[in-house]
Amino acid sequence: MSTNPIVKGKLVCVALNDQQQLQDLNATFNEAPYKSAPTQPVLYFKPHNTWNTDGASIEWQEETLVVGASLTVVFGEECCRTSAEDALKYVAGYTLMHDFSLPEKSYYRPDIKGKCLDGSAPIGAAVASASDVADPQTLTVVTQVNGETVGEQSVSDLHRGVAELISTISYIMTLQPGDAIAVGFPGNRHPVKQGDKVTSSIAGVTELTNVVEA
Amino acid sequence: MKHARILHNDVELDVTVNDQGDLVTAEGQTISEADVTWLSPIKEPGTIFALGLNYADHAAELAFEPPKEPLVFLKGANTLTGHKQNAYRPDNIEFQHYECELVAVIGKEGKNISRENAMDYISGYTICNDFAIRDYLENYYRPNLRVKSRDSLCPIGPWLIDKEDVGDISDLKLTTHVNGELTQEGTTKDIIFDVPFLVEYLSKIMTLKPGDLIATGTPKGLKDMQPGDKVVCTIEKIGSLETHIVSEETFYGDKY
Repeated sequence: MSTNPIVKGKLVCVALNDQQQLQDLNATFNEAPYKSAPTQPVLYFKPHNTWNTDGASIEWQEETLVVGASLTVVFGEECCRTSAEDALKYVAGYTLMHDFSLPEKSYYRPDIKGKCLDGSAPIGAAVASASDVADPQTLTVVTQVNGETVGEQSVSDLHRGVAELISTISYIMTLQPGDAIAVGFPGNRHPVKQGDKVTSSIAGVTELTNVVEA
Repeated sequence: MKHARILHNDVELDVTVNDQGDLVTAEGQTISEADVTWLSPIKEPGTIFALGLNYADHAAELAFEPPKEPLVFLKGANTLTGHKQNAYRPDNIEFQHYECELVAVIGKEGKNISRENAMDYISGYTICNDFAIRDYLENYYRPNLRVKSRDSLCPIGPWLIDKEDVGDISDLKLTTHVNGELTQEGTTKDIIFDVPFLVEYLSKIMTLKPGDLIATGTPKGLKDMQPGDKVVCTIEKIGSLETHIVSEETFYGDKY
């Protein structure tokens, strides 16, 4: 397990932010235990034992492991109760995160077993300076497993956009320099097996590669 | 030994607390409690685990079956504040309640720790008040971050006390007083998943590290909080943690 030089404090991930996924699950969400669709961003932490780096191998879990990739916003300044209009001012830069986890079977209870695996949150490789990214909504995250494209997520297709999420989250918790938010993953997490090479990229921003331990 | 962290003349200090309640610096200087601001006793908090519905009486109070597996959620370090500090009541809500909890502090890194060896990985204990805002509950990763990861809403302290000074933790009395009135009373005897169980359970999933905290849940006795209220959570052999409830506007000041 290696620590990560980019994330220092909180790593907040946004689940269920893929519009298509939300539509597909709408009927399920009207039943128990959910009873109604979420009205707020669905958030989870990846704690510090999960943080990892570009190039790191990912521990195999003797179960199905799945991966999703997300654009990740890294804060450069303390951000407390910001409006969406001002939200991007607090961003130092943009990078990528892989969320390796057990399959998302239920969203009812916090998924500690699925989401807190050691080394399961590689972040990187580089942080593109916010000044080099005019509008994060125009970015697309492409994920390949062994060279084959398995996921493509345009930030503009997320249910909630980057600035809105920063604003909402900053009213729950003050964000500090070195905190990060992974803004949204493709609804279909992709299964991986031992030895698989997972590469995600945002054109012109950065690329992140990890190999699942053989 | 009781270990605290304080702000004194704008300097952060690690101190111990003697039997008279005086704060003693590493150099042996004694400081009066009246002259300090208490900080969270955990200098570099790691993962903050908290337990939901972990007292049989509290689960019944909320009309839940006692869980068959621990209900664990994570909290951000932004929630932590010290003894005698402010915690806020969000605007326009109906029900915010305290939760007096025994916190076990991890002192040694470990993975796949057995129940038998679990206590070797605990350095000591403290108290937290894991406030909840029931208005914000939704059935997604419940209890969600909007309920449980707000600034200032997990006061912790006053100190970290070495485990040897507490000894057996299987029947410690917990109480909460609001403005002097007893509103919550229980004992750790009613904990469903105890500290050794939780260390084994969590370390099977992930590596535990020094500074990680396990807040073990709260007994029954919920009561709404209002700005102006003084809440004191007490655990036998550990201490009393005092918190002052203020409005959202008072808490955030210029940032409101």
